[in-house]
Amino acid sequence: MTLKREIYKALEDVVGPENISEAPLILGSYAQRTRPRFEAVTLPQNTGEVQAIVRLCNRFKVQFKASSSGWGAYGDAGGPGVVKLDLRRMNRILEINEKNMYAVVEPYVIYAQLQAELMKRGLNCNITGAGSNCSALPLAAHQGIGHLSVSGSYGERNQLALEWVTPDGEIVRLGSLGSLGQWWCGDGPGPSLRGIIRGNVMPLGGLGVYTKAAQKVYHWPGPSTFAIEGVSPHYNPSQIPPGFMIRYVSFPSSDKLSQAAHKVGASEIGFILMGFNPAMMASNMATNNNEDRAYFKQFTDLVQGPGFLIIMAGNSPSDTEYKKKVLQQIMDEYSGKSLEPVEDPKNAGGFMWRFIRVTSSIREVARASGIFAGQVGGTDVFYLMHQYILRSSPLKERLINEGRLLADGTDPFVQLVEHGHAGHGELLIRFNKQDPEAMKAPAEVGMFANKTAIEGHFGVPGHVWGDAAHDQYGPHTSNYHLWLRKIKKTYDPNAASEATNYITVND
Amino acid sequence: MALEDYRSDMEMCCRCSICKFVPLEKLKEIQHSYVCPSIARYNFHTYAGGGRMGMGIAMLEKELEYDGKLLEVVYNCQMCGACDISCKYAMDMEVLEPINEIRIKCVEDGHTVPALDGVINSLRKQGTMVPGAKARRGEWAKGLDVKDITRQKAKVIYHAGCRVCYDEDMWRVAKATVTLLHKAGIDVGIAGENESCCGGRAYQMGYKEELLNQAKQNMELIKKSGAEILVTGCADCYCAFKVLYDKFGLKDDLEVLHTTEYLARLIKEGKLKPTKKVETKVTYHDPCHLGRLGEPYIHWEGKPVPGHIRIFGPPKEFRRGTYGIYEPPRDVLKSVPGLELVEMDRIKEYAWCCGAGGGVKETNPEFARWTARERIDEAESTGAEAIVTACPGCERNFKDTIKENGSSLKVYDVVELLEKAT
Repeated sequence: MTLKREIYKALEDVVGPENISEAPLILGSYAQRTRPRFEAVTLPQNTGEVQAIVRLCNRFKVQFKASSSGWGAYGDAGGPGVVKLDLRRMNRILEINEKNMYAVVEPYVIYAQLQAELMKRGLNCNITGAGSNCSALPLAAHQGIGHLSVSGSYGERNQLALEWVTPDGEIVRLGSLGSLGQWWCGDGPGPSLRGIIRGNVMPLGGLGVYTKAAQKVYHWPGPSTFAIEGVSPHYNPSQIPPGFMIRYVSFPSSDKLSQAAHKVGASEIGFILMGFNPAMMASNMATNNNEDRAYFKQFTDLVQGPGFLIIMAGNSPSDTEYKKKVLQQIMDEYSGKSLEPVEDPKNAGGFMWRFIRVTSSIREVARASGIFAGQVGGTDVFYLMHQYILRSSPLKERLINEGRLLADGTDPFVQLVEHGHAGHGELLIRFNKQDPEAMKAPAEVGMFANKTAIEGHFGVPGHVWGDAAHDQYGPHTSNYHLWLRKIKKTYDPNAASEATNYITVND
Repeated sequence: MALEDYRSDMEMCCRCSICKFVPLEKLKEIQHSYVCPSIARYNFHTYAGGGRMGMGIAMLEKELEYDGKLLEVVYNCQMCGACDISCKYAMDMEVLEPINEIRIKCVEDGHTVPALDGVINSLRKQGTMVPGAKARRGEWAKGLDVKDITRQKAKVIYHAGCRVCYDEDMWRVAKATVTLLHKAGIDVGIAGENESCCGGRAYQMGYKEELLNQAKQNMELIKKSGAEILVTGCADCYCAFKVLYDKFGLKDDLEVLHTTEYLARLIKEGKLKPTKKVETKVTYHDPCHLGRLGEPYIHWEGKPVPGHIRIFGPPKEFRRGTYGIYEPPRDVLKSVPGLELVEMDRIKEYAWCCGAGGGVKETNPEFARWTARERIDEAESTGAEAIVTACPGCERNFKDTIKENGSSLKVYDVVELLEKAT
């Protein structure tokens, strides 16, 4: 299908000829992972252009789909007949409000950029665990849970006021923006619609376009910039900032890990807490896959069982001392053991900065084979999420023993959100994409994860999107899928917002 | 190696987009956080390193027809390698190599662009990538008492390079280099009108055969001369002699040094003593082919080890820009009394390109100037009075851009400032 000339010309009039293309070469690069191609790719520069494109798509009965930094495949075309909005020209930080501690960004600001600007002002933000290469819009994709979530919460909770181009082309300003023209609150005075515009894991491009959003930012007790020495990939801070400390603590059992993590949350000593397994620690540190294997073996030999990474950031010398003492007490109580290579001063600063800037997610998930998958838990009570994600470990072990997955350990990673107010967990699998048997593994893990979640009443996990998954979960969860379809139908009467990864109106 | 040999590298791309930015650990502010001129200027993902990986696969799969758009994307890239370095912070995959192979494939399949065909014709006929007659190549050295290595033996050969030989504005850099080497007591010679293009830029443009022809011709001349060390002040030439000739097994045991490396060594050995004050505040621009692309070539032959992790037997060491030439030019500048060196945001392995590379200055001068303008703005933001570089290609493009767009920023080669101080 090629766009009718009339439609193409109308889109071209909106963005200018340099910012639209239907060349097979251009379209192909947006379809590397999922083969369906867009009919055209547009590069709008502002909300007005986004709105105009959306309205044209409604008028001409073609679908549209927007994405920003685009790592998640959710932004790819789900089928033919779709116009792409690549939002990379909308790349400004619009405001950093130090007094009221929020930041307003357009979709193509990435977290590394936002964090760098915030740190200069003594502030910091949560960064999605996918990495600081991802969009800093708090509702760009998925849940926005990340390394800093123990102290910096996550996307849904951090999101404040929002500008939204609805699927039929209205501009809606939510929260305080809607009534006062200000960004400081997501839920009013004025319309909120937070549940509608977010859902459980975001509409993933299926419910219009989010063009600007504010998010809550947090106190940063560290320096305005980390002084990094060395040349890529061998970066290391020249010194660890005063008051900062990093440890990887392993425990004799998952239960002990869970209890210790709970205590860390209750005492609010964690700046970052991630229940990484040795494989992720190894991948984070290694600058190549050979090193990765060596560190993995070394770390596996040194740990006593599942563990967590913790970074503490003291606000004063006495606060630092307090946090250190509390951690030691928790380690004593639950038989925690520190992984020496992490606390080694030669490595500690590098680990610390990679985790704070969240630069190594690509190393951790993609470097091994260029592909990864797994099970993504929801956001609920920490212990519940830990139990849910833990149940998949035997399946992963079997798949590893069958030679279908990379043998990188079977401990899932778990994490605290808001000092244990909530928790989250994931199970990563990595495999050779040229191996047909390996390529079946993600589906097996997914099926098992869904069965576990439904039968075990663990709620709706984070990997649930698209019609089939919602239809599977909905009947067990208050028929939410029916409501979701009503939302979709109400806000998108022409089904213009392509929703393969959200939910479609196929009654 | 051919494009097909990099299929698995290209398939590793996970579309994370770190190829578009400076290494994220080093990102200090939103300004100057982009590293790839091509995606920064043209915006469609296709222009990024990751997009080019997809293009390479599509070409192998014969999903793309050669057309104007394909060649426009292929050649609107300076081949600066910044995407390669940012990617390899995290990944074990080649990026710049397949991008270069895409160009080689275009040339081999007979799909070239007229602007480059003209340049290559000049190379074939006159041995130069810059318009000029072979007989005029040695004119820059008139009046200099320097050995002609085609007739006299010298331990060191100074290769001036096309840009210097045919751009009178650059002659003073070459003259200053020879003068400094003489002051240090170095037995140096030149090939004069017998010097020929290194072929490096031709390779970046996709003309592999031309590189090989030039390499064979140059190495024959150097062998005959008996010179042990080749010194050049051009980053492209440096990369060609040191890296590309080695890649194709044509370098032998020739030691290749950039002038800044050699001069830094001579200063350290006390053979050159900068004593005169040059009171100025400058910032240094790392040329791509001296910096991140100037590290030694690493020979490797092997194959993937079967399994779920991408490792090779024998292990493959990727070139990640770690061992580029970053400190010698800075050491030379720091040796100049009175000179204050301030750094831009994007330096060393993640320096922003000057804009001239990869044939862009020939095929799309507007893009070359746009890229240079970005760098000039960045240099101005440091408060420096001058941007100093170590490559005539960068210098020319900066000067052309300043002339057209205006700026009070001066442009120097490192050698000029050292000469003033010595």
